[in-house]
Amino acid sequence: MSGSLVNALTLQVITGLQLGAIYALIALGLTLIFGTLGVVNFAHGALYILASYAAVLVAGHTNFVLAVVLVPVFLFLVGIVMERGLIRFFYDRPHTDQILVTFGLAIVIQEALKWAFGANNIPFPLPPWGNGVVFLHEYLPFLEGFVVFPKWRLILVGVSLLVVVGLFLLLQFTTFGLTVRAGMREPDMMRFLGVDVTKRFAVVFGLGALIAGVAGVFGGPITQVSPEVGMAILVPSFLVVVIGGMGSLPGALVAALILGLALSFSAEYAAVQQIVVYLIAVVVLLVRPRGLMGKKGVFE
Amino acid sequence: MSSDAYFRCEDVHAWYGESYIVQGVSFAVQEKEIVALLGRNGAGKTSLLRTIARAHQPALKGGRIWLDGQPLHDMAAHEAARAGVGLVPEDRRIIPGLTVEENLIVAQVAPPVGWPLERLYEHFPKLAERRRQEATTLSGGEQQMLAVARALARELKLFLLDEPYEGLAPQIVREIEGILMQVKAIGITTIIVEQNAIAALELADRAVIVDMGEIAYDGPAEEVMQNAELRQEYLAI
Repeated sequence: MSGSLVNALTLQVITGLQLGAIYALIALGLTLIFGTLGVVNFAHGALYILASYAAVLVAGHTNFVLAVVLVPVFLFLVGIVMERGLIRFFYDRPHTDQILVTFGLAIVIQEALKWAFGANNIPFPLPPWGNGVVFLHEYLPFLEGFVVFPKWRLILVGVSLLVVVGLFLLLQFTTFGLTVRAGMREPDMMRFLGVDVTKRFAVVFGLGALIAGVAGVFGGPITQVSPEVGMAILVPSFLVVVIGGMGSLPGALVAALILGLALSFSAEYAAVQQIVVYLIAVVVLLVRPRGLMGKKGVFE
Repeated sequence: MSSDAYFRCEDVHAWYGESYIVQGVSFAVQEKEIVALLGRNGAGKTSLLRTIARAHQPALKGGRIWLDGQPLHDMAAHEAARAGVGLVPEDRRIIPGLTVEENLIVAQVAPPVGWPLERLYEHFPKLAERRRQEATTLSGGEQQMLAVARALARELKLFLLDEPYEGLAPQIVREIEGILMQVKAIGITTIIVEQNAIAALELADRAVIVDMGEIAYDGPAEEVMQNAELRQEYLAI
């Protein structure tokens, strides 16, 4: 294989990872909320862009590190308020009602952002430590010549990995995680064991929003910051959830990776790139109607 | 019916949607007593048990349920569980994706906590052997043991057992019977619903027969064992 081909392939894989990373972050929150609460949260994209705007404000007035700390906490609180104030009234309602109400909420958030900040893109300056490029050829000896990749995009991949590992540790190795996993599968039995599943699920909704917050802070500079971005990013993220299997966290990760790579490798053919996500969804659902790792009885 | 009974249902009415399932049931259970709740299929036994455990369905629409002076009728399912109600449901509801031990640990997340794991494993050595195994891969009998053990992992004031012998081989039934005899010896107040009425009557001190959502008989278990006419009329055995 020629050196330039290896270089191109490597760059495409890393780009795919980066694209997958942002979808994974949003899809993780979506599927976590769906898997535990059975709620299809179409306002999740709006939470993402809300976080991006909040990060621009906080970073603009203080510094980016403070935005990294404060914005996810703010989104966690927004999630709790959303769940307690609205979503919990729709647990026993059909999924179509949930979609309608969360979609409505997404539009309200989008229009409120438009009213407050205008319809145009606002700049999201990167912190000085995130600017510039990484010389990939210095770390990957099989690359030939001079190969660079934007540093911020690599940071995004790293942050996604951290979130995934953190979520895995939380769900697998803590009592809270054990209760959530059990509640995802048998909410009624958990109530018979004295656990107030609903209260814990409010925290899970907050956690999903928090992950959207992290995504919004680190993804904002890449996806740009304008009110419509939330809706634009929701569709592929929701497809990631469907392809991975509704409610499956590992499924969402694998699907995000596949989609990221597919988008990256089809980037040269604009017409194909527009439909590749949907093509993958169609093929996967034809072969595995519940998605890659979907469980029987979920969303059926 | 004694008004100072440890547990009592007073004129309980419960509905599954539009279906009127439990139609004004009243009965009482004394402390440490074991009551067999019997009746034909569809008589409303499981519904009554779920109503007592304050399940979301069937919905309690009238009447009062008291346990040791606590108003279960004002509680949600998790509050009733914290008040000391322990339900082993008909289909066992072993939590998939969790190991045997995790199924026991989740039972102790909310207070009050009952037997520690070591004591549970002493009484259920098969569960100890399989503690790291995914719980839904256990045999039917082992899953039933786990369901009983999970209930005992909580401090119980009222133990509700729904069809503990259902679908089990006779040998396994005997094994579960042995475990329930141990529970009886400990003196946990118990209501058992069981299609295998004879097995339930052998365990119970008293029998309550439900027919068409109402109480048709309330008396000593011994009397039902000896009264063929009663058994034939309400239990078809």
